[in-house]
Amino acid sequence: MKKFLTKLPEQAGRLLIVFIVFIALVLLVRFLLPASLKDHNIHIQNTVATEMSRQVRYAGSEVCASCHDEYNLKKNGYHKNLSCETCHGTLKEHSENPTEIKPLVPRQRDFCTRCHAFDPSRPTGFPQINPSAHNPMKACVSCHNPHDPKPPNVPQECQACHAEIARTKAISSHVMLECTICHEVPTQHKVAPRNVKASIPAEREFCGKCHSTQSIIKETSKVDLATHGEKYLCWQCHYPHMPEVE
Amino acid sequence: MIQPLHQTLYELLKQATGFIYPNEIEVHWGILVVVYPYLTGLVAGAFILASLVKVFNVKEVQSVYRLSLLTALAFLIIAPLPLLLHLGHPERSFEIFLNPNFTSAMAMFGFVYAWYLMVVLLLEIWFTYRKDIILWSKNERFMMRWIHKIISLFSTDVSEKSVIFDKKMVKVITIIGIPSAFLLHGYVGFIFGSIKANPWWSSVLMPIVFLFSAIVSGIALVILIYMIVTPSRRQEIDMACLDKMASFLFYAVIIDFSLELLDFIHRLYESEESIKILSDLVMNKLFISLGIIQVLLGMLLPLGVMVAIKFFRFDAELRKLLYFVSAILIQLGIFATRWNVVVGGQMFSKSFRGLTAYKMELTGFEGIFMALLLLVLPFIVLAILVKILPPWEPAPVSDLEAVSD
Ligand code: HEC
Ligand code: HEC
Ligand code: HEC
Ligand code: HEC
Ligand code: HEC
Ligand code: HEC
Ligand code: HEC
Ligand code: HEC
Repeated sequence: MKKFLTKLPEQAGRLLIVFIVFIALVLLVRFLLPASLKDHNIHIQNTVATEMSRQVRYAGSEVCASCHDEYNLKKNGYHKNLSCETCHGTLKEHSENPTEIKPLVPRQRDFCTRCHAFDPSRPTGFPQINPSAHNPMKACVSCHNPHDPKPPNVPQECQACHAEIARTKAISSHVMLECTICHEVPTQHKVAPRNVKASIPAEREFCGKCHSTQSIIKETSKVDLATHGEKYLCWQCHYPHMPEVE
Repeated sequence: MIQPLHQTLYELLKQATGFIYPNEIEVHWGILVVVYPYLTGLVAGAFILASLVKVFNVKEVQSVYRLSLLTALAFLIIAPLPLLLHLGHPERSFEIFLNPNFTSAMAMFGFVYAWYLMVVLLLEIWFTYRKDIILWSKNERFMMRWIHKIISLFSTDVSEKSVIFDKKMVKVITIIGIPSAFLLHGYVGFIFGSIKANPWWSSVLMPIVFLFSAIVSGIALVILIYMIVTPSRRQEIDMACLDKMASFLFYAVIIDFSLELLDFIHRLYESEESIKILSDLVMNKLFISLGIIQVLLGMLLPLGVMVAIKFFRFDAELRKLLYFVSAILIQLGIFATRWNVVVGGQMFSKSFRGLTAYKMELTGFEGIFMALLLLVLPFIVLAILVKILPPWEPAPVSDLEAVSD
C-alpha cells in the first residue's frame, strides 16, 4: 500500500484527495438529510401535509344556498352542472365574510363565449353560437338568465345545437335531406334534449328506402341490399351525414 | 378569475385546424426545451472534435484541441439552465441527486450530466493544462497566481515523468469520454425517441440522429469560434487546420443527412396511421423551419458549398468566406432541427386529425429573450474560461527548464 502511494504521481494524489473529499461530502450530506428527503413514503406524507395546510379557496355551491336563492334557480336549469364558483371566482372568503369580500360578476360577453363560441371539438348537442352573429353588442345576460339560461324562445333549427353535423351535412351528397327524414324529433327534444331524445335509424332497410335496387326513388345511386355490406349497418361504413364512397 | 392564460389559449384555439383534444391547445415544451438539446448537442460535438484530435492524433487540428475542450465546458455549464428555468423551482433540482429515481430516464439526466462534467471534461481539461498552469503561476501577479494555484490543486510537479502521466491520463479519459459524450447527447434523443405515443418522436433512430446532428453543430461551432477569435488576436488563420475541420464537418454532415433521409424514407415506407397528419405537419406547420431552413439552407446548401470546395481550387480567402457562411447556415439548420423535433412533435393532435399552433412569448421565463440570453451566456462563460486558461499554442512560457528544477 505504502509502495503504491509513493509510486502514485503527485498530481494524481491531489486529485484523489479532491475526489475523496467530494464523496465524503456527498455521504455526509446524505447522512445529515432529514428522513423525509430520503424515504419516499415520508416524502409523500409530508407533501400531503403541505398541501393540506394550504388555504382553502373554494366554498362549494351548497354553501351559497344558505344565503342566495340563485342556488335553487340554477339547480334545474341548463347550467345545473356548473358550480357557482366557475363563474364567480373562488369564494371561500366571501361566504365567511360576505359584506367585505365581493365576488366577481362576469357580465361581459366574452366570458360566456369561452364555453359557447363555436368550436368543432365540443361534444354533440352542446349549445354553441357564433358570437359575431348572435345578437352582437348586447350583453348575453340581458336575454339569458345566467342561472337559468333558457333561450328566450325554443330554437327552431337543429343547427343551434348540432352545428357540426349540420355543417358537415351541408357539404355532403345528403345536403337535400332534412334531418327529420332520418330522425324523428319530438318537439320537447329542443327544450330538454337530454331527457327527450331524438330517434336514430335502426336498420339497413331504412337507407334501402332510397338506395336499394328495388327503390322507386330516382336520383339516388343504388346497391343490392342482399350483397352490399350484408352483415353490417350501412353507417358502420358510410357516415350518414357525409356519405363518402371510396 | 379571468386570467390572461385563458385569453391566449383562446386566441390559439382559432389557429388550430381540424380536431384536437382540449389539452393539446397549449404547447408545453416551448423554446427553452428547444435550446436545451441544441446546447447539449454543441457540447457533445465540440468534445468529439477534441477527441478526434487526440485519438487519431490529427496534427493539423491540434491547435484547436484546447479551444474545443473549453467550448464544450462553457456550453456544458449553461446546458441545464434552460431545463431548470423551464421546470421552475431550480432550487429543487438537487433533489434528483438525493432521491434518485433509477427507473426514470429523465431523472437520470442529472447523473449523466454530473459524470460527464466531473469525470470527463473537468479531468481532461485539468490534465491537459496542469503543467502550463503551474508554469504560468510562477510569474504572474497576485490574483491570477492564486486562481491558477487553486485550479492546479497546488500541484508543483512538472517533471518529465509526471507530464508523461498527464498525457496518458488524457488518452484514457478521451477514450472514456467518447462514449460519455455519445451518452450525453444520445440520451436526449433517447428521451424523445422512447415516447411511444408520439409518432413524430418515437423512433429508434432518434438517438443516433441527435448524436450526429450534435457532432455537426459542435464542429461548426468550433470553426466559427476559431475563425472569429483568431483574427481578433491578430493571428493568421491556419488554413491547414481550417480545411481539416471543414472536412470533418463535411463527413459529419453527410452522415447526418443520410441518417435523416433514412428516417424519412423509413417513415414513408412504414406509413403508419400517423403518416397523413405528419405529412400535413411537414407541409404546413413546419414547411419553413424544416423544408427551407433545416434541409435546404442548413444541409443541402452547405453540403453543396463544401463539395464545390473539394472539387475546385478556391483560394484561401474565398474558402474562409465559404466555410464561415456554411458554418453559420449549419448552426441555423441544427437549431431548426431541434425546433422541428421539439415543437413539431407537439403540434399535431394525438387524434391524428388536427394541428395546433405554437405562440412564442417575448418576455418571461419561457420567452424568446430568455432563450437568446441562454444562447449568449455560454460565450460569456467561454470568454472567462479563455482568460483563465488561454488555449493558444505554443504555451507562452519559454523558459520551461528554468523553472522546473
Ligand atoms: C353568509 C351568507 C352568504 C354566503 C354563504 C354567500 N354569500 Fe354571496 N352575498 C351575501 C351577501 C350578504 C351579499 C350582498 C353583499 C352586498 O351587496 O354588500 C352577497 C353578494 C353576492 C354576489 C353579488 C356581488 C355583487 O357585486 O353584486 C354574488 C355574485 C354572490 N354573493 C355569490 C355568492 C356565491 C357564488 C356564494 C357561494 C360560494 C356565496 N355568494 C355565498 C351573502 C352570502
Ligand atoms: C354561468 C355563469 C354563472 C354561474 C354558474 C352562476 N352565476 Fe351568478 N351570476 C352570473 C352573472 C353573469 C351574473 C350577473 C347577472 C346580471 O347582471 O343580470 C350573476 C349574478 C349573480 C348574483 C346577483 C348579483 C347582482 O348584483 O344581481 C348572485 C347573488 C349570484 N349570481 C349568485 C350565484 C350563485 C349562488 C350561483 C350558484 C348557485 C351562481 N351565481 C352561479 C353568472 C353565473
Ligand atoms: C363553464 C362553461 C360555461 C360558461 C362559462 C357558460 N355556460 Fe352556458 N352552458 C354550459 C353548459 C355545460 C350548458 C348545458 C349544455 C347541455 O345541456 O348540454 C350550458 C347551457 C346554456 C344555454 C342553454 C342553451 C340550450 O338551449 O340548450 C344557454 C342559453 C347558455 N348556456 C347561456 C350562457 C350564458 C349567457 C353564459 C354567460 C353568462 C354562459 N352560458 C356561460 C356551460 C357554460
Ligand atoms: C337579444 C337577446 C340575446 C342576446 C343578447 C344573446 N342571446 Fe343567446 N339566444 C337568444 C335567443 C332568442 C335564442 C333562441 C334561438 C335563436 O332564436 O337563435 C338564443 C339562443 C342561445 C343559445 C342556444 C343555441 C341556439 O342558437 O339556440 C345559446 C348557447 C346562447 N343563446 C348563448 C348566448 C350567448 C353566449 C350570448 C352572449 C355572447 C347570447 N346568447 C346573447 C337571444 C339572445
Ligand atoms: C336545444 C338544443 C338541441 C336542439 C335544438 C336539437 N338537439 Fe338533438 N340533441 C341535443 C343534445 C344535447 C343531444 C345529446 C343528448 C345526449 O347525448 O344525451 C342531442 C342528441 C340528438 C340525437 C342523438 C340521440 C341519441 O340517442 O344519441 C339526434 C339524432 C338528434 N339530437 C337530432 C336532432 C335533430 C334532428 C334536431 C332538429 C330537428 C335536434 N336534434 C335539435 C340538443 C339539441
Ligand atoms: C340520411 C339520413 C340522416 C340524415 C339526413 C341525418 N342523419 Fe343524423 N344520423 C343518421 C344515422 C343513421 C345516425 C346513426 C349514426 C351512428 O350511430 O353511427 C345518425 C346520428 C345522429 C346523431 C348522433 C350521433 C352523432 O354523430 O352525434 C345526431 C346528433 C344526428 N344524427 C343529428 C342529425 C342532424 C342535426 C341532422 C340534420 C342536420 C341529421 N342528423 C341528418 C342519419 C341521418
Ligand atoms: C330520402 C332518400 C335517402 C335516404 C333515406 C338515404 N339517402 Fe343516401 N342519398 C340520397 C340522395 C338523393 C343522394 C345523392 C345522389 C347520389 O349520389 O346517389 C344520396 C347519396 C348517398 C351516397 C353517396 C353515393 C355516391 O355515389 O356518392 C351514399 C353512400 C349514401 N347516400 C348512403 C346512405 C345511407 C348509408 C343511408 C342510410 C343512413 C342513406 N343514404 C339514406 C338519398 C337518400
Ligand atoms: C362493409 C362496408 C359497407 C356497408 C355495410 C355498406 N356499404 Fe355501401 N359502399 C361500401 C363501399 C366500400 C362502397 C364503394 C365501392 C363499391 O361501389 O362497392 C360503397 C358504395 C355505396 C354506394 C354507392 C354505389 C355506387 O354505385 O356509387 C351506395 C349508394 C351505398 N354504398 C349505399 C349503402 C347502403 C344503403 C348500405 C346499407 C344497406 C351500405 N351501403 C352498406 C361499403 C359499405
